[in-house]
Amino acid sequence: MTKKNYSTGKNEFLWQLAILLAITLTLIALKEMRLVSTSFLLILQYIGIYAILTLGINIVNGYLGVFSLAHAGFMAIGAYVSAYLSKYFFTDITMFAVSIMAGAIAALLVGILVAIPSFKTKGDYLAIITLGFSLIVQSLLQNARFVGASKGLNNIPKFTNIYWVFGCLLFAVFITNRFVRSKYGRSMQAIREDETASNLVSVDVRKIKTIAFALSAFLIGISGALIGHLLGYTSPSAYGFVNIVDGLVMVYLGGTGSIVGSIFGSAAWQLIVQLLKQLDTWRWVVGGILLIFVMVFLPKGVFGNMELDDLFRIIKEKINRKEPGRGIRNG
Amino acid sequence: MAEKIVSLKNVCMYFGGIRAIDDIDFEVEKGRVFGIIGPNGAGKTTIFNVITGVYIPTSGEIYFHDNLLNKLMPHTIIDKGIARTFQNIRLFEDQTVLDNLKIAHFSHTRYGLADVFLNSSRYKEEEQRIEEESIKILNFLNLADLMNKKAGALPYGEQRRVEIARALCCKPEVLLLDEPAAGMNPAEINDLNQLILKIREQFNLTILVIEHQMRLVMEICEEILVLNFGKKLAIGTPNELKNNPAVLEAYLGKTN
Repeated sequence: MTKKNYSTGKNEFLWQLAILLAITLTLIALKEMRLVSTSFLLILQYIGIYAILTLGINIVNGYLGVFSLAHAGFMAIGAYVSAYLSKYFFTDITMFAVSIMAGAIAALLVGILVAIPSFKTKGDYLAIITLGFSLIVQSLLQNARFVGASKGLNNIPKFTNIYWVFGCLLFAVFITNRFVRSKYGRSMQAIREDETASNLVSVDVRKIKTIAFALSAFLIGISGALIGHLLGYTSPSAYGFVNIVDGLVMVYLGGTGSIVGSIFGSAAWQLIVQLLKQLDTWRWVVGGILLIFVMVFLPKGVFGNMELDDLFRIIKEKINRKEPGRGIRNG
Repeated sequence: MAEKIVSLKNVCMYFGGIRAIDDIDFEVEKGRVFGIIGPNGAGKTTIFNVITGVYIPTSGEIYFHDNLLNKLMPHTIIDKGIARTFQNIRLFEDQTVLDNLKIAHFSHTRYGLADVFLNSSRYKEEEQRIEEESIKILNFLNLADLMNKKAGALPYGEQRRVEIARALCCKPEVLLLDEPAAGMNPAEINDLNQLILKIREQFNLTILVIEHQMRLVMEICEEILVLNFGKKLAIGTPNELKNNPAVLEAYLGKTN
């Protein structure tokens, strides 16, 4: 992964602006001109929301290399806090951003606490601790009357639309991109490879882990807030085992340690789930088999530790390599 | 008397009943190349581990200048000015050589999260600075060509040099080298000797080196500590130790 970290040249800025404009125009075309059906528009929103979730999971599970299952808990916190606020306090859509932020920050604060066990435990043990966290959050919500106990919150204002979703996704991509290319991101990847060695080249491992968990929880919180306001209801059963597995599948299918991979993983998995809908329960079997194939042939996922520019570089190298190869054979 | 830069006072490190190092006492003068030798399992690497905070010593005190290091976290100790390499190379193999060096700049890269997200001028300046400093060190060690290669893909000898380069990026005053010559042939050891003396000169370092290769130890160390079964056997200049009966016994066995 060779990256120019600090030089955001003028050219690059113009490119980013162009891409941003293209995305905005496409969204307007899709929504306002009704180029696609409402159900497809809904799928697009799911893809966007789950891409934010996947980015969040990827920070801890991919870049930091810590196997955490806390994302269902973070998502539930984001969803409930924001839904509660916009149902009872910020009932106007102009305040939607405030609700989202509140949900995300609540998740962030809890994320800092969840980071603490990761200082001393690793691997399976940490997976069990974080799974415990997710299930504790779920069962707390099942028993909390003021948020509807096991029925959950209903009649949440449906503020989420495709602009909010892709606005938040762009924000998440921006944050993640800047973060992983900074000293913090480099340190996360160093910790993934060798925690002791990183500590012995002056990396403050605990600080990095705390920041990574906090940022991860923040992004997952945003995705939770969006999904609650998309469906109009939120209930504890949505943040259980299926949610945990779904999140992991999208990360490991798309590729660990990759932003493009997170978006790809989310898009691919959401489309697969939609296509397999007719199969009813069998879709979990088909989906599982698909996942096994990916794991066998692409153990790091489709975009493992790669971004688009890395991919282009590899393709370019492959093309260039052919010609000198032929030359050698001739000579 | 020259200034003492690292001193260990009655340091013990026990793992259950095993006395990995037992009542070790020594001082290193600033600017020296200080050797630590001894048979396998004598506790040499354990000394490095207690100095850098990987282990907290069972008893005793470790000083760097006048600072007590005993209970500090490794990254704090490194930040104070001690850096090390490892007996079995521990590079970040999936990262490029340049990124390996940049990671080691962590503690003295002065920007915060806000600078990262806002892409502030301080962020750009600091990133530029650590990249330039890393490249300068790579040039100094003749590694600049390998800058964009994955560290894990390099041959053994080059990985050793990258590890030294990475340690230098921590801006140390004291450099701990753990068997830098392991697996090297005599010609390579001569090069390494020159390199060690050169980096001491250039970066104004004090160097502690653990080594089995006598060619290295006898040529460049000015003072040597001999360990056996965790205990201090002798300390002195190479010439003094050559004729020390206790040292000869530990290495060659009893004579009669």
